[in-house]
Amino acid sequence: MLFKNTYNEFIKIVSKPRSYLGLGALTVLIGLIIFAMKADGESMVSFVTASFEQTLSFNGKLVNGNLIAFIILQMLVVHIPLLIALVTGDLISGEAAMGTIRMLASKPISRTQIVLSKFTAGAIYTLVITLWLGILSLLVSHLVFGTGDLMVLNSDGLVILPEADILWRFGLAFCVAYLSLLTVATLSICLSAFAENSIGPIVATMAIIIIFTIIGSLDVTVFDTIKPYLFTTHMASWRSFFEDPVPFDDIINSIVILLTHIVLLVGITLFKFNRKDITS
Amino acid sequence: MKKNLFFSFLFLTFGVFAQEPEKVIEKINAKMAFVKDYTVNAHIDADIPMIKIMPSNAKIYFKQKDKVKIESKGITILPKQGFTELNTFLSDKSKYTAVFGDSLKIRDVDTRLINIIPNSTSGEIVLAKIWVDQKNAVIMRSQVTTQTNGTVKTDFKYGSQIGNGLPSELKFEIDVKKFKMPKSVAADINKTSADQKKAKEKQRTKGNITITLSDYKVNTGLSDSIFKEKKK
Repeated sequence: MLFKNTYNEFIKIVSKPRSYLGLGALTVLIGLIIFAMKADGESMVSFVTASFEQTLSFNGKLVNGNLIAFIILQMLVVHIPLLIALVTGDLISGEAAMGTIRMLASKPISRTQIVLSKFTAGAIYTLVITLWLGILSLLVSHLVFGTGDLMVLNSDGLVILPEADILWRFGLAFCVAYLSLLTVATLSICLSAFAENSIGPIVATMAIIIIFTIIGSLDVTVFDTIKPYLFTTHMASWRSFFEDPVPFDDIINSIVILLTHIVLLVGITLFKFNRKDITS
Repeated sequence: MKKNLFFSFLFLTFGVFAQEPEKVIEKINAKMAFVKDYTVNAHIDADIPMIKIMPSNAKIYFKQKDKVKIESKGITILPKQGFTELNTFLSDKSKYTAVFGDSLKIRDVDTRLINIIPNSTSGEIVLAKIWVDQKNAVIMRSQVTTQTNGTVKTDFKYGSQIGNGLPSELKFEIDVKKFKMPKSVAADINKTSADQKKAKEKQRTKGNITITLSDYKVNTGLSDSIFKEKKK
């Protein structure tokens, strides 16, 4: 029954035009980034290397498919939560607004199973978005720019990773990026259980992400105790796969915190939905 | 008569000493001039604070007077200055005054320091010091201070190409004090400014780049088209 209901939920997602908005927006955005990097990628890279180039000269193919894929991933993982929330924020509240939730609850399926099937369908949609992001950013960038060593800039300096050592990093980075997007999807589904319309959960999800991100980026000691527990702090941990050596302990810590958020949010949603008054 | 002879000898002696650094440089230049062009395989090992890079390989093309091209499959990092600037500068005697300094043993080779003082203040090189193996007419060490790139110290090792004055290994020591991260690009939410300050304090101020050169092909008649930048 859970599988059948998950299938139905996914059909609902597929039949809504807004579900394609995310895929379309991703395609356009990635296309624009690739076009911009093809036109002016060299100057963007020289902006990054400018302080080194007084003393050093960088030779070889700096602007390549791997660098473009990394830039795309860096830019879009910040913006994709909106595209995810747009669909997942509507999963419960949309049905409440249309009144179909009563019909759904009258079926021979428990409320817990309804919620779990919605979560599973939301997770599949998030996976589709992440895979589409991966395919477009990696494959298309490689086709347009070719491959090569990857130059990554972080606050400690430049890390130049050899071409042969990059694909597994991207693979694992996409897995962690998926987990962080899944946390966003879970948050918006959770908020959706509290709302009677679709706009509220979508806007609230984005507001929470923005507030948490600001708290995380503010260099104020009063926030130091809560920062490590905010899911937004760990949303960028996919980037750690491009450090040398890879800080696996930090990444595992981020995964644990993201999973804890997911479990907690699913628990809150189940608690709320099982007590939700659907008769009025 | 004896007095005159003594002064003539003294004058001649000082005259010869005054010529000597230029003559040593002339010998080095003559050796360099024999090499019209070369290609060489380079293995580059960079140990630079704030930059992590695995050892890489490249092919270096050189053609007189100052044409250099570096070809590599991956990304390679080389010092901005050090391949041709010093030789080009030394080739024009009118640009500098050379003065002998102390003797120094470098890797069991007796060398003599020659201070190169530019005659003009408008050039890029502010001061150059070269430690010369006078027997083989090669530079064993150089320390070049420039207007824009700070000081670069280079150690030269020679192998089978010592006859052509071409090194088998170059070790550059470069100044990295000027390196700064563009904050807007390197935004790292997990790192506070205190962490970054600590990291900055720990940071070394010198970096090393070692280039091992092998398989020289000298005077093969390299075409100028090799050095033309391909449109990207």
